[in-house]
Amino acid sequence: MGLEFLARVRKTSCWTGAVLALVAGRYVGPGDGLALGFGLLWSLANLFLIERLVVAITGPGHGELPALKRVAWCVGGMLGLLAAGAALLTWLPAASLLWGFLVPFAVLTLKAASQLILGSGTWKRFARHPGRAAGLIVALALAAWVVAPLLARAAAETDSTHASSAADPTPAEPSHGAAPGTADAHGAAGSHDDGGHGESSGPQKFANFITVLSRAFPDQPWAHFLHQYEVVFFSLLVALVVSLLAFFASRNPKMIPGPFQNAVEALVEALNDFIVGILGPRHGPRYVPFLGTLFIYILAMNLFGIVPFLEAPTSSLNITVAMAITVFLYAQFIGLKELGVVGFLDHLAGNPRTVTQWVMVPLMLPIHVLGEFAKPISLACRLFGNIFGEDMLLVAFVSLGITTLAFTGLPFGLPLQVPFLFLALLTSTLQALVFTVLSTIYFLLMLPHDDHDHHESHESAHPAH
Amino acid sequence: MNFQAALALGLPLGIGIAAIGSGIGLGLIGQGAMQAIGRQPEATAKIQLAMIIIAALAEALTIYAFVTMFLLSGKIQ
Repeated sequence: MGLEFLARVRKTSCWTGAVLALVAGRYVGPGDGLALGFGLLWSLANLFLIERLVVAITGPGHGELPALKRVAWCVGGMLGLLAAGAALLTWLPAASLLWGFLVPFAVLTLKAASQLILGSGTWKRFARHPGRAAGLIVALALAAWVVAPLLARAAAETDSTHASSAADPTPAEPSHGAAPGTADAHGAAGSHDDGGHGESSGPQKFANFITVLSRAFPDQPWAHFLHQYEVVFFSLLVALVVSLLAFFASRNPKMIPGPFQNAVEALVEALNDFIVGILGPRHGPRYVPFLGTLFIYILAMNLFGIVPFLEAPTSSLNITVAMAITVFLYAQFIGLKELGVVGFLDHLAGNPRTVTQWVMVPLMLPIHVLGEFAKPISLACRLFGNIFGEDMLLVAFVSLGITTLAFTGLPFGLPLQVPFLFLALLTSTLQALVFTVLSTIYFLLMLPHDDHDHHESHESAHPAH
Repeated sequence: MNFQAALALGLPLGIGIAAIGSGIGLGLIGQGAMQAIGRQPEATAKIQLAMIIIAALAEALTIYAFVTMFLLSGKIQ
């Protein structure tokens, strides 16, 4: 447990604190989120100064002039920190500041505890046998299943403001039919949520097993919760399935692969060749994991829409927008990292070199910035529109098949949707491919242009903007 | 004509007009790509990739019209 351990603690606390501050800012209040962030920063700075102080006093060369100077710096910094802490306490809510202050200590304790547990004999005994590990996981899940509703009930009783903010999306559903003027912001989410209810005004989708469950248990809070977040649930399910497949394919690799390993390897190799072929051998391999995962994940999500009693998460804007924002942020990150801040601004200004180009900068800069923001919007809307339209097409033909045989009173209809299932297979694959290819090209546009693909990337820049 | 009737008339028309436009565009893209493949069969992979990208961009316009219709169709009672 040396300085390296402390550096890891600092990094983890930064990430945890950022997530916690965002969550608190959304669900408790913006001031509390800010206070949590500031408390965390204060605590981290404090810990850093203490660490420096201890190093300066006990490290090599202590007692000499540079070390004494460092000691003086640290003490002065701590006095300044105390003053800043006093100012923060009068300015922001104290409870959230305290929580933020405690985050690094919690991370420190948990990390130390996990190191102790991972080194202990009990853990090794559990981890070595898959059966025992699975039993432990099942036991933990059961305990969480029992404890979570109790905790939620207790929290709902003590903290009514939290409950009202958690139940915020629910009023959007009835108002969607009653007052269209107020519900336009919730149009997509609201009409998606009530798909499956017969009485709703929004477009109706196939019933999946969550809608069946929520109809079977209409009064249970967990069924309502599942129904409200069914898209997220299905996307997590897809992620689980894909992860398990990847795990079982790569768990026991052989030199002469079996059929399963062979198929997965062929897919990965094809994706690798494809993406490296676009991005070039210098930059390509670094982005293959992200883009290839994107392709497999989207393909699996799209294909979920064809399986009965499952639903394609991509037929909701929530999931596609989330993925498009991820791609957008990653592309900007690549641009900032590979080009540097100046190079990034130069890229946004259209790489001005001549006087005419410099004159055009006030015009080109807004166009490029708007183009950057148009990319995720078009990515998200394209995927959502295609998969949603495919779903609606199937629904329309299924209901047509039912109405043609309605006069007989039989409990089934003509399978008129069968030809469109093949169309759905096609669009599912194609849209996953298109999303991946466009993301790859957005990355390519951000990468520094080599002399080889300089010409090519500028050609593809024009349709993308 | 109240705004709901206008919406009920305009939304399908909007989709149809957008579909005409991107249909023409897709046809031209397909024509160009097929001709290019016919002339240079060894460059099929590159041409297909570019074709898919541009086809997706052309097709997106209809999808935008479709999404707009979907967002506004809730206002027709």
